[in-house]
Parts: sequence; C-alpha cells; structure tokens
Amino acid sequence: MIRFIFKRLANELVVLFVVSALAFFLLYLSSGSVARNIVGDQATPEQVALKQTELGLDQPILTRYFDWVVNALQGDLGTSWFTSEPVAHALSTRIPVTMTMVIVAMILIAIIATLIGVAAAVKRGWVDRVVQIGAIIGDSIPGFVIGVILVTFLAIQLGLFPATSTIAPGVDASAWVLSLTLPVIALLINGVTGGAQQIRSAVIKQLERDYVRTLRSRGISEREVLFKHVLRSAAPAGLTVLSLQLIGMLGGVVILESIFALPGIGPMAVTATVQSDQPVVMGVVMYTVAVVIVVNLIVDLLNGWLNPKVRVS
Amino acid sequence: MKLGPKAAAAAITVSAALALTACGGGATSGTAAAKTTSLTLGAVQELRSWDPAQAHVGHYLQPYQAAYDSLLLREPDGKLSPMLATTWKYNDTNTKLTVDLRTDVTFSDGAKFDAEAAKANLDHFKKANGPQMAQLTAVSDVAVVDADTIELNLASPDPSLEFYLSQAAGLMGSPKALGTEAIKTEPVGSGPYVMDKAATVKDSQSVFTARKDYWNKDLQKFEKVTFKTLIDLTARTNALVSGQVDATLLDPKTGKQAEGAKMKLVATEVDWQGLLLMDRDGTKNAALGNVKVRQAINYAFDRKTIVDQVLMGQGTPTSQPFGKASGAWTEGLENYYSYDPAKAKALLKEAGFETGVTLDVPAVPGFETQLAVVKQQLSDIGITLNVGSAITNTYTSDIAAQKFTGIFFSLFQGEPWVATNQIISTKALYNPFKNTTPELQAKIDAVEKGGKDAGKLAQEVNKYVVEQAWFAPLYRVNQMYYHNSKVTVEPQVQQAVPSIYNYSPAK
Repeated sequence: MIRFIFKRLANELVVLFVVSALAFFLLYLSSGSVARNIVGDQATPEQVALKQTELGLDQPILTRYFDWVVNALQGDLGTSWFTSEPVAHALSTRIPVTMTMVIVAMILIAIIATLIGVAAAVKRGWVDRVVQIGAIIGDSIPGFVIGVILVTFLAIQLGLFPATSTIAPGVDASAWVLSLTLPVIALLINGVTGGAQQIRSAVIKQLERDYVRTLRSRGISEREVLFKHVLRSAAPAGLTVLSLQLIGMLGGVVILESIFALPGIGPMAVTATVQSDQPVVMGVVMYTVAVVIVVNLIVDLLNGWLNPKVRVS
Repeated sequence: MKLGPKAAAAAITVSAALALTACGGGATSGTAAAKTTSLTLGAVQELRSWDPAQAHVGHYLQPYQAAYDSLLLREPDGKLSPMLATTWKYNDTNTKLTVDLRTDVTFSDGAKFDAEAAKANLDHFKKANGPQMAQLTAVSDVAVVDADTIELNLASPDPSLEFYLSQAAGLMGSPKALGTEAIKTEPVGSGPYVMDKAATVKDSQSVFTARKDYWNKDLQKFEKVTFKTLIDLTARTNALVSGQVDATLLDPKTGKQAEGAKMKLVATEVDWQGLLLMDRDGTKNAALGNVKVRQAINYAFDRKTIVDQVLMGQGTPTSQPFGKASGAWTEGLENYYSYDPAKAKALLKEAGFETGVTLDVPAVPGFETQLAVVKQQLSDIGITLNVGSAITNTYTSDIAAQKFTGIFFSLFQGEPWVATNQIISTKALYNPFKNTTPELQAKIDAVEKGGKDAGKLAQEVNKYVVEQAWFAPLYRVNQMYYHNSKVTVEPQVQQAVPSIYNYSPAK
C-alpha cells in the first residue's frame, strides 16, 4: 500500500510541475500591460516602466519562471501585484471558507445521495421514478440559479437567513452557520440528485449479480446483504462520482461565493484573472491542482481499502 | 473564523432546525424612534491597500476618508473647503502653491500633524508609484516653510492640483507609519474613524469606530462605520433589500427591485458614454480624417430614444464630453448634434464618403446593447460598424499603441483639466494619435495657465472638440445609488458613491 501511495505521489508531482509551467507561460502571454493597469490611465511612460522593473517584468520569462519555482519550493508564492498581500497568506485565509463549504456539502451529499440511491434501487416503482425525474431536474438547474431562488424566498421574503454572508471573528457560530446554510443547500441540490442516480445504478447492477442470489439463498438477512456486501461493492462507482462532483463543485463555488459575498477562493480567483495578477492566479491554480490530486488520492485509497484488487493492479 | 467540517455539519443541522421553527432571526429591525449610530455600506470593490499613496479617485476614495483626512475637503457640490489645510494660495505664475496647515491635529498613533508630516506624505505619494501617482506629476518638490506652512513648487502649472489635494494625493497618513508593511492592512491617519482590526476581515468587511477627540465632530456622524465588500451586483441588491447594508450602488434594473422595497434613490451623472473617434487625421481610417464624416456620425444618433430604451430613462442625452459640474459644460453644446439622418447622409455625400465608410471598434463587455444600437443607427446612414474582439487587460496599452481608430466607452467627466489630459491633450491616453492643431493647443495652454479661470477657459476647448466632432457622445449616465430610511445621503458631484461626510442618521 505504501509503495502504491508513493508511486501515485510521484506521478502527481510531475503533474503539478507541468501544470505550473503551462499556467506560467500562458499567463505571460496575456499579461502585456499589467504595469499600465496598476499605475492608471494617466501615468506617464516613465511611471509604467518603473512599475515594470519593480515587478520584474523586464526579466526574461525563463528567469522569472525559475525564480518562481525556487521560491514556491520554499513556500513563498510571491506577493499580489495589485494588493501587495502575500499570496500564501491570501490563500490561507480564503481556503478555509471555500473548503468548509465544499466539505460540508460533500459529506451531506454522500449521506443523502446514498440513502436516496439505495432506496430507489431497492424499492423501485414510484420512488425510483421520483429519483430519476429529480436527477434530471437537479442536473439541469445550475447551482447559482438555485442560490438566487433560495435568497429571494428564504432570505429576503421570509428573513430566515442573511442574504449575504457575514463571516467575521467574534461573530457567534450560529450567525456564521446561518450564513453558510443557503450556499451549501445550493451546492447540495445538484450533487444529491446526480449522486443518487449513480448510486442507484451501481446498486441495481450489484443486486443482479450471482453472489447476491447466493447470499440470499444462504438465509442472510436482506439488510446484511444490502449494507455489508452490495453497498461495499457498489461503493467504488459512488466514490468516483463523488470525487468528480467535488472537483466540479470548485467551479460552482466561484459563482455562489460571489452571490453570497463569501470571502473564499472564488472571487479572488476571478478578480486576479481579470487583472492578470499573475502571482495570485498561479497560487489559485496550484491550490486547485493540489485539491484535485488529494481528492483522487483519497478516492484511490478508499477504493483500495474497499477492494484489494485495486492495490494489486 | 475557522470551523471544522464536523462542527459545521452539526451546526448546519441546528440552523436548519432553527429555520424550521422560525427562530432563525434574520434582518434585525431597530426601534423606529432610535437614531441609528452605525452605518453599513455595500462597497463595490475591496481596497488594494490602506497605504494612502495607493488610494484612488471617485468612489474608490470613500473608505480612505474614514481613516484619513485630506488637505482639502471637497463639498458635495464640488467646492473646495479647508480641512487639514486652512488656507492655500498660488503665486502669480501659478507655479507655487503655499499651503497653511492646522496645528491641532494628531494621528491615531499619537504622531503630530505638521508641515514635516505633510511633506512626508506628498513625497511618499510621489515615490510610491500608486494608481494615482500622476496627480502629483506637476509638483517638482515640496518645501517646509515653517511648522505649519508648506510650499508645493510646480514644474508647470496644474489647474487640477487643488482638486487632487482633496483626492488621493491629499490624504495624510502618520509619518511614523508611511512606508511600513503594517499600513497596508491597517490605516493610520487623523480621520474621523479608526479601524477595528479584530472585526475586519479581508475581502469581507472593514469595520471602523469613531475616534475619540476627533478635531471636527461635525464630520463624525456615526459611532461605527462598516464597509461590506459586495462586488457582485446581485449580492449588493440582496444585501440592501434585506437590510444588511444601509446604502449601496445599483443599476437601473436592480434599482427597480430596490424601489419596490422602498429604498431611496440618489442619482448623479458621473460618466458619459459614446464613441471616441480617435483617428482624426485619418492615419489609418481616411474617412475619420474628414470632419464632415465625424459630424455625420454625430447626427446619426437618436440619443433620447437610446436613453429611454437602453438606460430605462436614467441619463441625459448630450453632444459634449465635459460634465455639468466641470465649468467647461455649455448649455448650447448640449444638443449641438440633433437626430438628423438626412443631414448625416448629406454630409457624407459632401465629404465624398457616400458609400464605404467603415468603423472598427473593440467589443466592450457589458455594452453589448449599446453597441448593437450604435451599429443599427450608423447603418441607417450608410456607415458600417464592425465590432471586433472583446477588450482585454491589454486594452489601455492597445489604445496607446494606436491599435484602435475608434472606441465605444464610458468615461469619467472630471474636472476640466483632468478631462483635458484624459481625452484631449497630446499627453492624453485617449488621444493616442496625438491629434492637435495650433488653434486647439492655444486653447489648452490657456486652460493650463488659467488658474481659477481654468473651467471657464475650458469651455473653448469643449466648443472646439464638439464642433470638430472629436467624439460622438450619446448621453451622461445616472449612477443609481440607493439607501434605506435609516440614513440620509447627499449626492457628491462627479462621484458614483458619495463621500463619507455626506451620510448622516435620518432625523
């Protein structure tokens, strides 16, 4: 198992390196007049040139990338060109906001989608039809639309939740939780409907397998068959879907964070990209790749734990 | 605040239960009789840095005003009044500005405000290469005369310098804190409020409390001022309508929703929108070199219908690029080019460009409707408008590099000298082909040396560029600033968002 993990980690490090190089060079192509944008419309050419030197933009691109890698390996991701905030610090304050939302949503999706998926697979009939229709509707409505609908009814008309979030130290936990509830629900609806559908299919497939018939013929209770054997075998498919959803969620979160004014990674990524704030964009790219790598690794480990065959292959 | 996933999951369940039993709270409604002591504003942008040298103009200035006093105070109508400066006077050639300063002001870290502190700030501003560094370009050096007097020596006259001293360049920070890392995240000024660092969260909210013993209680109307960062328009609308903020900037469409929730509108015209016909010598587009073609373009637009339909009536049709408060604005130029397609066609014929005039402009995100209308109305007189690829972050350097012969844009209607240097003089970014004539240059020189008469003299510049059809302005657009009934708000000339001094608790 340890060898398996090391092998995977080595592969992922190569991915991280390749992505960083690609991102850096692509950003270079689009960051033509950053210095002018920073010093403003009325700045003289000398002021623009001064800013360019300050940012090191007059250095060759390979030198700049080499410097970035050397610093990044020491944990220094540079400083934002627009806000002078160290990128590592900016990420460290925003990642908890985004990840709390994503992780809470994922845990709830895993539990609810599994319960609904299993119920649909076992009961079939109308329950199944409702789940299938729900999956189509849930998949077709973007999360941010759900977010806006939730705000309109639950926050503005009924006043049950704050319309935009207030996350500040010293604010009591209940206010903070109320702030997060609507965005998490908006994330949940898409995830649950999609996830339940996949789990339903995987469970049905297992229920049709010979080993289930054998287990049943030996008089093992239906509950034990379902939760001990069928679900374990269906889990890899479910886990893969959940991991894809989590990665997809990182995109959906960007819009939701803007609508709910949450100080997460999303708005920062958008602003930095529009401004060509290269150090910040690089930081966000690295963070996103790292999340994808970690999620994939966890899914592989869980799969390996559930199904020893995976480890051998 | 950090909350582990487990705790968060548990808390969400609790909150759902609270919501179901309708105990969740929501917008707090204070007692109607009590006068509010706090002000919460929905800010459209997070600040880059609290270093005063990184401050910006217009509505980006507002949060700095909470922490920093400026040398001059700009009244809501644009008049300049004393603040940290008590009096200021130019010499005869407008090349030296002598400024007398207050002697009773301290910064929040205890440092004293005096001539040395003012000099330190102006020097720092000149060096720091911030987004408004150009404001002090004309100042060659700052001299300390005595403890409460400084002299600003100018390399050339700058009629907008006094205006700048009420803006970014005039903000005064503690000399002890200037240039430090700390001032980037925590302002240290002599202003009416001090930052509550513990309650401030980057990218979420900046909280300020009233400073004890502030020298001018008239400017300090609240106990607490919060700037809540709400970049997204939907978020701003929701926050205002649900009572989370007292005032914020919306647009005509979301404004309807706010009006439905009984919010009050403070409308001010700040920007003008229209075409900048930049290649006036016909270097790249021969047709644009002919004044009759440029005038024909101006006659092609039914400005009133565009305002009514595109802006939902929130603007004023105009033919001139200078704003009402600038001093350069002239009644007679307001409707100089009426809607007259027949005259437009006749002018094109006279110019010999009856067929085949093509204009290229880049696409501006957010202006799709405007560009479609402009394209339609130009095609009615036989001019083809090609809308190219969208503007990118290289936009300003592309303009400077003469990549565009014309653009459709929204431009600030600033003070006459500011506007002249932004769109008309040969130094202006938005005059990339550096068009000028001896006649125009003489008018510009007169404004530069005009001192107090600069605004009036700029009327001549305005008249010239309107007659020569340098631009095709369509309208001045209303900024839709809304507030609730807990506060009263006075609009600020040339600013989408009022200055911090313009808010007070409702009576």
